[in-house]
Amino acid sequence: MTAVQISFFVLAVASTASAIGVIAFRNAVYSALSLILTFLFLALFYLQLGAMFIAVVQILIYAGAIMVLFLFVVTMLAPSQTSEGVNDRIPWQRFVGIVLALVLVGALSYLLFFNGNLATGVVAQGGSLSQAVANPQLGNVEAFGQALFHGFLFPFEVTSLLIVVAILGALVFGRRA
Amino acid sequence: MPLPAYLTVSAIMFTIGALGVLIRRNPLIIFMSIELMLNAVNLSFVAFSTFLDSADGQMFVFLVLTVAAAEVVVGLALIVSIFRTRRNIDVDDMNVLRG
Repeated sequence: MTAVQISFFVLAVASTASAIGVIAFRNAVYSALSLILTFLFLALFYLQLGAMFIAVVQILIYAGAIMVLFLFVVTMLAPSQTSEGVNDRIPWQRFVGIVLALVLVGALSYLLFFNGNLATGVVAQGGSLSQAVANPQLGNVEAFGQALFHGFLFPFEVTSLLIVVAILGALVFGRRA
Repeated sequence: MPLPAYLTVSAIMFTIGALGVLIRRNPLIIFMSIELMLNAVNLSFVAFSTFLDSADGQMFVFLVLTVAAAEVVVGLALIVSIFRTRRNIDVDDMNVLRG
């Protein structure tokens, strides 16, 4: 067992456990903290895969900005902790949900393990927009910046429009009626 | 580690997120489960980007991150405005169109 394999298994178990914690805790603040932990484990996955820029951006934006917004709203709304599960409208909802989730994970795993000629080593063909990346190290900031600003420049500019629309939406919903 | 290992972890996390959307009644937890699903897909993207030696996967992760941030902003504003009028955010009670 190499160090990469050991770290992969530890990270896989830890991220799955914290993901289960997100959906299992009754207290919404505990769920939010579990989700932050999941994001940190995912950032470690990205580091292991060599995507350094994405790992740092994951921590900065997801754990540092999005989850802060979540925690603001969670603590402001202060939902009652015991109202869920006491008066379920459909009593068999949880059981059917778990069965369907098992079907989903079984279907995805089947496709992964029995139908796979995945990653045959073929480099993405001519339609790839990142042809201008000269540096073979994909994860570092220079290569990421080259791919972003040479091939993906238009989507990058459109995201600024997306952010303006999101701000307008928040302003509209935030007005006192 | 081979590629299917990372994809299996991604599939399991996606399923846990989908289960959270199905089972929980607090819309904030449902929102967090949606974020969990998006992150599972991000893991798939980065794994493919590494194993196919292409930067496209990481570009898509960047875009997914931006869209997730915008979605969280609008969704949380919506939940807060619903809370203001109803004082209760149980999704099973949101069954009338009248606000």
